[in-house]
Amino acid sequence: MISKTSRIILNVYVAAFLIYLLAPLIIMGGAAFNDSRFPSVYPWVGWTDRWFLDLFRDTRMWNAFKNTILVALAVVAISVPIGTAAAILVNSLQGRVRTVLYGMMVAPILTPGAVIGISTLLFWHHFSVPSGLHLSTLGQCSYISAFVMLLVLARLQSFDRGLEEAALDLGASYSQVLRRILLPHLYPAIGAGAAIAFFQSIENFNTTLFTRGPYDTLTVYVFSRVRSGITPTINALALIMIAVTLLAAISYEIYRRRHEKVLLARGRGNPDSD
Amino acid sequence: MSATVELDRVSADFGSFRAVDKVSVTIGAGEFFSFLGPSGCGKTTILRMVSGFIAPSEGHIRIGGEDMDGIRPNKRPTVLIFQNLALFPLMPVWENVSFSLEMRGVDKAARRARAEELLKIVDLPGAGNKMISQLSGGQKQRVAIARALAVEPKVMLLDEPLSALDLKLRQHMRAELRAIQKRTNVTFIYITHDQGEALAMSDRVAVMSQGRLQQVAKPEDIYNNPSNGFVASFVGENNVFDGRIIASQTTTARFETDLGVFEAAFNTPPSSDQKLRLYVRPEYARLVSTAPEASNAIAVTISDISFEGNFINIHATTDQGRVLTVETRNDGSSDIPETGSRRYFTFDAQRARILADETQAAHS
Repeated sequence: MISKTSRIILNVYVAAFLIYLLAPLIIMGGAAFNDSRFPSVYPWVGWTDRWFLDLFRDTRMWNAFKNTILVALAVVAISVPIGTAAAILVNSLQGRVRTVLYGMMVAPILTPGAVIGISTLLFWHHFSVPSGLHLSTLGQCSYISAFVMLLVLARLQSFDRGLEEAALDLGASYSQVLRRILLPHLYPAIGAGAAIAFFQSIENFNTTLFTRGPYDTLTVYVFSRVRSGITPTINALALIMIAVTLLAAISYEIYRRRHEKVLLARGRGNPDSD
Repeated sequence: MSATVELDRVSADFGSFRAVDKVSVTIGAGEFFSFLGPSGCGKTTILRMVSGFIAPSEGHIRIGGEDMDGIRPNKRPTVLIFQNLALFPLMPVWENVSFSLEMRGVDKAARRARAEELLKIVDLPGAGNKMISQLSGGQKQRVAIARALAVEPKVMLLDEPLSALDLKLRQHMRAELRAIQKRTNVTFIYITHDQGEALAMSDRVAVMSQGRLQQVAKPEDIYNNPSNGFVASFVGENNVFDGRIIASQTTTARFETDLGVFEAAFNTPPSSDQKLRLYVRPEYARLVSTAPEASNAIAVTISDISFEGNFINIHATTDQGRVLTVETRNDGSSDIPETGSRRYFTFDAQRARILADETQAAHS
């Protein structure tokens, strides 16, 4: 039983935490509708939608947006297979080899993004590869595949090796075991890994800044706008991104619940026991 | 659809540890054969060698006369039922059952039909669409058997598949397994540490200890004529007496212990350095009020009576303080002595055995 004082303290704490977390977002969202030259809600000059209209007319922004999505998709396509394969490999190894491989995979997470960016640039420069979005993709993959690996590795802990042996014993080849037994078990983690890879790529700034060459991504675009004098179009952009993310999360949750219901309904029949 | 399984001086080493030591035995086609032994005796290793998950360090395994050396599990005519069953949790029952057919590229309609047939054999018709998590323990057992039968194996290997079930269901599944084996006539090799299971289901039982075969025989011979002390004490209960032989005839010997001199059956010729013991099963011993004329009597005081339902265990303490056990059937014909009363513990010479601790060479 929680005493009355501690309940009050708890409520105040939760409220303060939520305000701290959400207030900037609310203020930022509000500023997108304020007819003021600066991105703020105070003083409130008047309601307007011109920042959104400005945003839609901003071709440079649209180009940056397109680049960002392209890079993010490429990062997902590369880092998910690499991360998954690394997780399966690390999980099947023992002793020092495992430690070394695991350390090599995880090291880029601990390396500052700027260092990854610069070293990617220098490395490929050595082979006369010009900088551009392809280098941004590779640079991001070097640490994002480690995230995927960690997620898949955690899921692998709950995999029963007996299932693999049973499938082999029933005549499956190793590739059939992988496709039919192991990967289906890993799908939730692979899906989560893909989502994380996608969003990590979108929000990446450090690595991209060094490797992007002449191309813009959203983060780089926002950064350049901040330098050249910021207008509330940035707020409009941010608000749209939050709305899209929220919508995606909500529709996924709805899908998940519906799917669960279908699974439960399937084959419920008569749960007789003997 | 069955094959002989021949183990020819098969050994398995894990580092310096020898898990299986020169095991030789031939299992007949269509036989229900059990390996019985305590955990760590090497029985699971034997099973994994037959199924192909472990390669023997020495010796050969032949199935249907064909040497299995270098043949991978998925190419052997065997199928293994795992201790935890290893059913695929993300597939419905019918996909589990027909998994081996899917791996061979059989089309979906044919797989579906075959799965339904197999589910009928294991008495689970219509369960095809259920998920594994919706099944009871006994149903999972049947699905595992159906999945194994789908391979049309010549040899079915079972690794203590009943150990997770409760007592009633276990007894039911014993009969069920035996019936399925007779129906399909597949060679069954069954691994267990439960003597009741091994004795009740098997055509023959191999008792193992520390990687060696101790005895291979029919269940009744294992129980009635154990070849050594390990088999006698692992299968069933015993009153055990240390001592030495002072005179021996062809089939019996006089055995001197600190509770007196007894006469008992004795077959194996004594080898000088082997420790011998006298084994008397509780159900072969009796308690009588007057000292019998022949030998084999120990004066005792009844110390405890424990009622087990279909039988009664009577514990009797000798004057030296040893506790002996006598088992009486609860059929109303035998008189149950009062606690504290004086009796004589007695047994027939033919029903008691003098055995060496363990035979070094396996009998087969």
